[in-house]
This record gives sequence, structure tokens and C-alpha cells, in this order.
Amino acid sequence: MSLPQSLRTTVTPPELELIASEQLVEIIPLVSMERTAFISGAYGPLRPPNKCKIPLWMALNLKLKKKCHIVPPDWLNVDDLQAILNKETASNAYSEVPFRYVEIAKVLLDVASEDMPQPDKIRYLLKDLREARQAKCRDALALINHSDVKMTNLSSMELNEVRPVFVQSMNIWTKLVRDPTENYIGEVEEDERVS
Amino acid sequence: MDRDYFSIESILAENQKISCDFKVDIPEMGHLGGGNERDIKAPCRIPLPVWLADWAEFTIPTPFGPRVRNALKAEARSVRLSSLVGAGGMWYGYGKMIMDMKSAYSTRPLKHVSPQTFRNRLMEVVDQAQHFATLGSLGAGGSSGDTAQSFREGLDATERELFSLAQESAKRTKRWYEESDRGRR
Repeated sequence: MSLPQSLRTTVTPPELELIASEQLVEIIPLVSMERTAFISGAYGPLRPPNKCKIPLWMALNLKLKKKCHIVPPDWLNVDDLQAILNKETASNAYSEVPFRYVEIAKVLLDVASEDMPQPDKIRYLLKDLREARQAKCRDALALINHSDVKMTNLSSMELNEVRPVFVQSMNIWTKLVRDPTENYIGEVEEDERVS
Repeated sequence: MDRDYFSIESILAENQKISCDFKVDIPEMGHLGGGNERDIKAPCRIPLPVWLADWAEFTIPTPFGPRVRNALKAEARSVRLSSLVGAGGMWYGYGKMIMDMKSAYSTRPLKHVSPQTFRNRLMEVVDQAQHFATLGSLGAGGSSGDTAQSFREGLDATERELFSLAQESAKRTKRWYEESDRGRR
């Protein structure tokens, strides 16, 4: 294949952002619009000041044209993130977060930070959370083996970042420990005879 | 690493010589030793390429000898694998090949060496890769210290590939985090 090595094993962050943009968010429209059909479904009608659920990409688009306010998802606020962070640092497991929280939080903070209270605090919390989880990923490397690695609750962006390294190291590990003769049992017996 | 006919890595890993003991005279093969003799005279030791040594009796080569094994056991990260097998060499692939060729019995002490070494060095490889990804274009070296520098120079080809994978991935994610796409929409 002519793709560079790093692109063969994984997708790129912008692609993940695109996928995350299909998720629905609530907005408070500032313009009215009839119900409109898109490829992924029909959304609307927009009737200010009633809330409405539309895909993230459309909300971002409207927001940039100043035609709506975005209601941040219920986990994207200081209290909830602080709780997640506390849980994260208290235990060895990854705490439960929305699967695409990294992408959604980033685009919302980029475009609609004035729609949420204390956006800077939220940025700090997200950064802390990311670093805490990265440290756990790093520790998991030391336990690498040929068959499995347990990373429950890791989000899509984090998975994407560690995937190439983990896949490659597990491949190498497999090659190193594999016995070409596959005569494992016979070897164990021989071990016993020798000792 | 697995002895696949079509694998470039496997060919590169085979690019080593190991010393073989000859126990019988072999006529007309003196050129293998590089000398002028016509025949190989019985007890003698000649370095042969790995692919040729498949049928011969050979000693465990120095990159996997007891000295290196002890050094690896003491601190895997301080051993320069690349200087053991030459530039672009594949220490892991070479070791695996040696182990597959020798009978299971004689390589028993060797068996866990390369997986253990790999695991012990892996975290340092990835750490440094991520460190360099965050440095960006500011340039390498300088503050990173001598130990890190010499570790990087000592990476074997397998680890080098892993290093660049980790670096590339960390870079891409970092770029995405930092770019704001207000303008793009």
C-alpha cells in the first residue's frame, strides 16, 4: 500500500471529529426554519425560543453565523468534569466518560465557549483528565503481551492515539515469543526430565 | 522476524555472520573463510552468514552472549542494541533467528531475554517519542541529556520503527488539539 505507515493502522483526529459531528446537540435557535431533510434525517423545525435537537455540525455552522446558542451536553460543565476527574485520579481504572467526549468538548469550546459558564475552568479540567488518562495508558505499556490489553472506557480519541504503538508492540511481542515448532507441551516435558 | 521468504525485515535480520565450527573436512570450499586455502580443514572456526549456517554447528554470537545478557538483566535501557548488530541492524530479529535455529535445549537461558528486553525498553522508547513529538520543530537534543541521547542512538531497527510510529501519532493528535478550525467552517 502507498499509505504511510502511520495511516495504515489508524484514522486521523480530523476524521474522528467528523464522525463525532453527527451526534445530536440541543440548540436554542435565533432564526426560524422549516423542517428540513438531510441525508442523515430530517431536523427542525426551528422555532425560537424553543429548544431543538440537531446534529453537531449543523449547530456549529449556525453558531458561527450567530443564528443559535448551543446548549452544552449535560456532562460538559465544571461540576461533572470535576467529579469525573476525582474518580479518575482516585482509582486505577479509567472512569466512565462519553465515548467521543474529547472531540465534542474541543469543537464546542472552540466555537461556542460563550454559551457555557467558566469555559477556561472546563479547559483546565479536560486537560487534567487527558493527562491522568494518558499516564494510565503509559503504565499499560509495561504489561504488554501478545493477546490482550484491557482498556475499558477509553475514549475514541485516546484509543486512536495509542493504537499504532500498542498494535505494533503486540505484533513484535508475538513474534518474539512464538515458538516456530509449536511443540510447547513436548518442551515442558523435556524441562521436567532435565531438572 | 519470522523467517518469511518475502519479508524484508527477515532478510535484514539475516545480514549477520556467526562463527561456525567445522568438524569434517570440506573440499573446494576454502573461499568461505576468505583465505587462499582450497579446502576447509577439520577443526576450524569460520564466520558464515546466518542463512548458510543453518546446517552447521555454531556458538551463540556475542550480541547474545553472557556479557550482554547480564548487562540486559541489570538495566536493559543502558545497553546499545544497535552497536551490537551494526547500523540498521535488527537485534530482536537476529536473536529470534538464532533461537529458532538452535535446538530448544541449548537456548533455554536465551529464551526470555529478548521479550523481557523489549518490554523493559518499550516504555522508554514511547516516552522519548512523545517527548520529541511535543518539542515540535524547536530542535532535538540540548536539554534532553546524555542518557536519553545515547539510548536513542542505541535503538535497534525494530524499536526505531516503533519510535517513529509513536512520535507520528502523538504529533498528529497534538496538532489536532492545537488547531482551532473557526476559519475552516
